[in-house]
Amino acid sequence: MTLYSLLFYLLAIIILASTVMAVTRRNLVHAIIYLVVSFFGSAMLFYLLGAPFLAAIEVIIYAGAIMILFLFIVMMIDVDRHKERLFPIRQCLPAIIFGLVYAAVGLMVTFGHSGSKASMPIAVATPNAFGRFVFEHHWLAVEIVSLLLLVALIGALYLGRLKIEKSAAAGKETP
Amino acid sequence: MMWQQFTPELYHFAAALLFTALSMTRRVDNRRDYWVALSLAGGGLIVCLAAVRAEGLLFLNTYKVDLFAQLFKVLLSMGLFLVVALCSELNGVARRWHSEFYLLLFTCTLAMMLLVSSVHLISIYVSLELSSYSLYVLVALRRDAAMGTQAALRYFLIGIFSSAIMLFGLALLYAATGLTYLSDLVQVLPGVIDQPLVLVAVVLTLGGFFFKLALFPFHFWAPDVYVGAPNQLAAFIATASKVAAVAVLLRVVAATGGQETLLVDSLAALAIISMTVGNLAALVQKDFKRLLAYSSIAQAGYVLIGILCMSPEGADAAIFYALALLLMKFTCFLAVVKIAADGGNPSLDALAGLHRRSPLLALALMMAVFALAGIPPTIGFTAKLLVFSAAMHKGYLVLVLIAMFNVVISLYYYLLIVKAAYLTEPAVETPAPVLSLSARALTTALIIAIVVVGFYPNPLIVMARQASSSLF
Repeated sequence: MTLYSLLFYLLAIIILASTVMAVTRRNLVHAIIYLVVSFFGSAMLFYLLGAPFLAAIEVIIYAGAIMILFLFIVMMIDVDRHKERLFPIRQCLPAIIFGLVYAAVGLMVTFGHSGSKASMPIAVATPNAFGRFVFEHHWLAVEIVSLLLLVALIGALYLGRLKIEKSAAAGKETP
Repeated sequence: MMWQQFTPELYHFAAALLFTALSMTRRVDNRRDYWVALSLAGGGLIVCLAAVRAEGLLFLNTYKVDLFAQLFKVLLSMGLFLVVALCSELNGVARRWHSEFYLLLFTCTLAMMLLVSSVHLISIYVSLELSSYSLYVLVALRRDAAMGTQAALRYFLIGIFSSAIMLFGLALLYAATGLTYLSDLVQVLPGVIDQPLVLVAVVLTLGGFFFKLALFPFHFWAPDVYVGAPNQLAAFIATASKVAAVAVLLRVVAATGGQETLLVDSLAALAIISMTVGNLAALVQKDFKRLLAYSSIAQAGYVLIGILCMSPEGADAAIFYALALLLMKFTCFLAVVKIAADGGNPSLDALAGLHRRSPLLALALMMAVFALAGIPPTIGFTAKLLVFSAAMHKGYLVLVLIAMFNVVISLYYYLLIVKAAYLTEPAVETPAPVLSLSARALTTALIIAIVVVGFYPNPLIVMARQASSSLF
């Protein structure tokens, strides 16, 4: 067992364990913290696979921005704790069946055809090379994405203003 | 770099930028935005028509300008122009957001133009997202904010769900082939399309486009969004958005080049379920826009028959059907907009006595509904005939029989609309819809187009044939 595979299995265990914890926690804040740990693990995994830029993005955007947003939302809207089961037993059964089928197929694929193993070629995409590739070959897509951000900004602005106007109108009605 | 091939896109981009600037100025005249938008959209149509013969590969082969793409750009700009022409009384949107409404409308059209020309998986995905996101925000702009945001949220949730599925499909496609250019995929895919991994990848990828077309199983948004969106926007979603979806589906499905494969069977199954679900659900609707939404789901099933033939004939039929859908659905929504002058949602009962209040509008509605049902001599009949005969040539007899059966079912609710407009007497007297001179001219032109193209479809079929020749 090489150092690489040792690291891989270590990370895989961390990711799996923290994701399981995130899914099963009833306290939403705890769940989000576990999810952050899971994202850090995936980031390390990307780094191990030769994508350092993707690893940085994973930490900055997923673990950083999006999870913090989740925390904000959880803290701002008072989510009442569910004491009862999250979903009824009726929905549990299909979930278990699908899970078992998936596990069975996964085991078959893993151990069924030992001859069809394919080793992945080792590749490293440095941030520099990645950036050059994207901006040289796909700058049309980059431009489209920038328009997309403009549209998202307008949408956020509109929805934000809607809230302000609504509360202002409510304030006027009940002085 | 040949910029003149990119003029339609640049033009619409500039128009969107102009509205960005206009949205930041003080509102002096309420009608200003409408006139600016109308003249810009008219200019856009002319620019697209002028560029229809342009050809070339741009942006390092990720962007293909050919007759197929240019023809669809003309259809898209025509859709935009027609929809903007309806906006003279934009009562469904608060006045202060009119500039943003037009800005997003132009951005969405630009995105769809980019979509029909893209031949690289990343540009296809990104432009699809741009058009979807513009529409999410547009739906939320409804004056009745609770209704608008609810519909927009539902649209958004189903949209991101389908785009996640599409991204998964794209990833699998890349994993299976290592290719991202459609021109490369055309050469590799036909040989490997029967491999389970490739088949799953292609079907999942198509999911994103099925969402645009409101095809089963991605149709759940359509009724709620049609009802929740401002009427003019519902017209845009029902026409331009569908046209773009047909174009990109044609391009991607043609790239698989499969004949007699599992892919055809699964597409046929989706087409059958989609038209059956749409037609059966439409039977019981009371709201006019909701009925039109279910009818779009059914029509999406018919279009898919043309697409899944994967023959030049089928592609011609699908292109013609896209044009027919544009005209028919737009005429229906013209009636919706004019009847609900206050920007609300008309019910079928609101149509009562329309033939006395506005004979011209009632006639236009009747022709459009007959065309949607496929009654000769309208454009809808010709379109259905082309699609079904293309499928017959490929030997899909069962599929055509089921589709015919569906057409018969759909007659019931289409005739309900005609009955409401012509035979039912209104319970309370409602004021006649106001039609300005230009609105009258537009309505008359639409009636003439629906009938004349139904009689003489040949020039358009020839055009469609030339356009589809680059696909196969």
